Amino acid sequence: MKTFSNRYMFIYSAVLVAVTALILSVVSVSLKPRQERNQAVEKKQMILKAAGIAATPQTAEQLYADNIKEVNILDRDSLPAYLYETSCIIPVRGTGLWGPIWGYICFNENWVIEGAVFDHKGETPGLGGEISTDAFARRFVGKSCTDSLMTRFVPIVLKKHADPGSLHEVDAISGGTMTSNGVTAMLEACLSRYEEYMLTNAGTELPSGE
Amino acid sequence: MPFNKNNPVTVQVLGICSCLAVTAQLKPAVVMAISVTVVVALANLIISLLRNTIPPRIRIIVQLVVVSMLVVLVDQVLKAYVYDVSKQLSVFVGLIITNCIVMGRLEAFAMSNPPLPSLCDGIGNGLGYSIILVILGFVRELFGSGSLWGYPVMESLGFYNFGYENNGLMIMPPMALILVGIIIWIQRTRNKDLQEN
Repeated sequence: MKTFSNRYMFIYSAVLVAVTALILSVVSVSLKPRQERNQAVEKKQMILKAAGIAATPQTAEQLYADNIKEVNILDRDSLPAYLYETSCIIPVRGTGLWGPIWGYICFNENWVIEGAVFDHKGETPGLGGEISTDAFARRFVGKSCTDSLMTRFVPIVLKKHADPGSLHEVDAISGGTMTSNGVTAMLEACLSRYEEYMLTNAGTELPSGE
Repeated sequence: MPFNKNNPVTVQVLGICSCLAVTAQLKPAVVMAISVTVVVALANLIISLLRNTIPPRIRIIVQLVVVSMLVVLVDQVLKAYVYDVSKQLSVFVGLIITNCIVMGRLEAFAMSNPPLPSLCDGIGNGLGYSIILVILGFVRELFGSGSLWGYPVMESLGFYNFGYENNGLMIMPPMALILVGIIIWIQRTRNKDLQEN
């Protein structure tokens, strides 16, 4: 077997890594526009799904343009929302166990949840990853994050043995406690910022304009 | 032959993990099969071309760098062209790096053979893996979800009207293991020389 000097090995590995890095950067930069477009379409698809409209990647852009209106609540840039007929879809994002989690919650004009979608970057498939399933999202339908008289904000909590009659408790995922806690924290952090808007607009028509 | 008597999945029993995870439906199974075949074939070719320059003491690292590069390339291409499938495959594309079939072929074949045979060896082993994935994907999607490639076969044949129901167990990972077991059983029954005493 041939022998190689240490010097050769160092240079060899350095060159190999440099060449690899170069190839990967070129590919990554050249494919970026397509990937970003895919992500944008996926986001629109999620918003439509929260509103209860089924869309394929091909139809999502058209359906979105026809049905959804993007607004900033209370004229603040940091409070985006998406309006669909009389529903208001609020984006949420937070952290799960291994990485970012996010979702869209669709409220009717009385701030009761009509639909929800969640997705994640790297939660464990079959455990925390279950948050992206329809079965999990359906648990949120009918829940609310204001009290029944709409006088204050009440966070929605994911917990074991949730009371099915409660407006603010949702069954957590067994085996996915850390991710479930992440969802609870995400919902509280993101939705509480809309408290003022929810309470002042309770039971009334949502603004149709800006 | 890597298709039958030396099949990487059923005879060498490698790459089982991804077999269980990605075969609940036919489409991701096929995409995964193509991805692995491309990675094994190209990794075999590149390592074979470099084989006389690679210092033996760092050969595993060199192999890993090449395999990782190819897998990241495949992952990027999937994200750009078949985004929905790449989401379904999620971490399993990245895990091709640690798929024993890839490293196994590099160590056992590409390090000591010229480029052309190495390329063929890679394609052959990739296809051997693909056959099993496609069989599993076909059976599991047909009986688990009643569809093929997303097309509702059972519904259009009207089976549901006769009280037919989808088998929920088929879409769970353990069923893939049972199916692999059945394939191995059939294969060993037909090939007496594969049987161990």
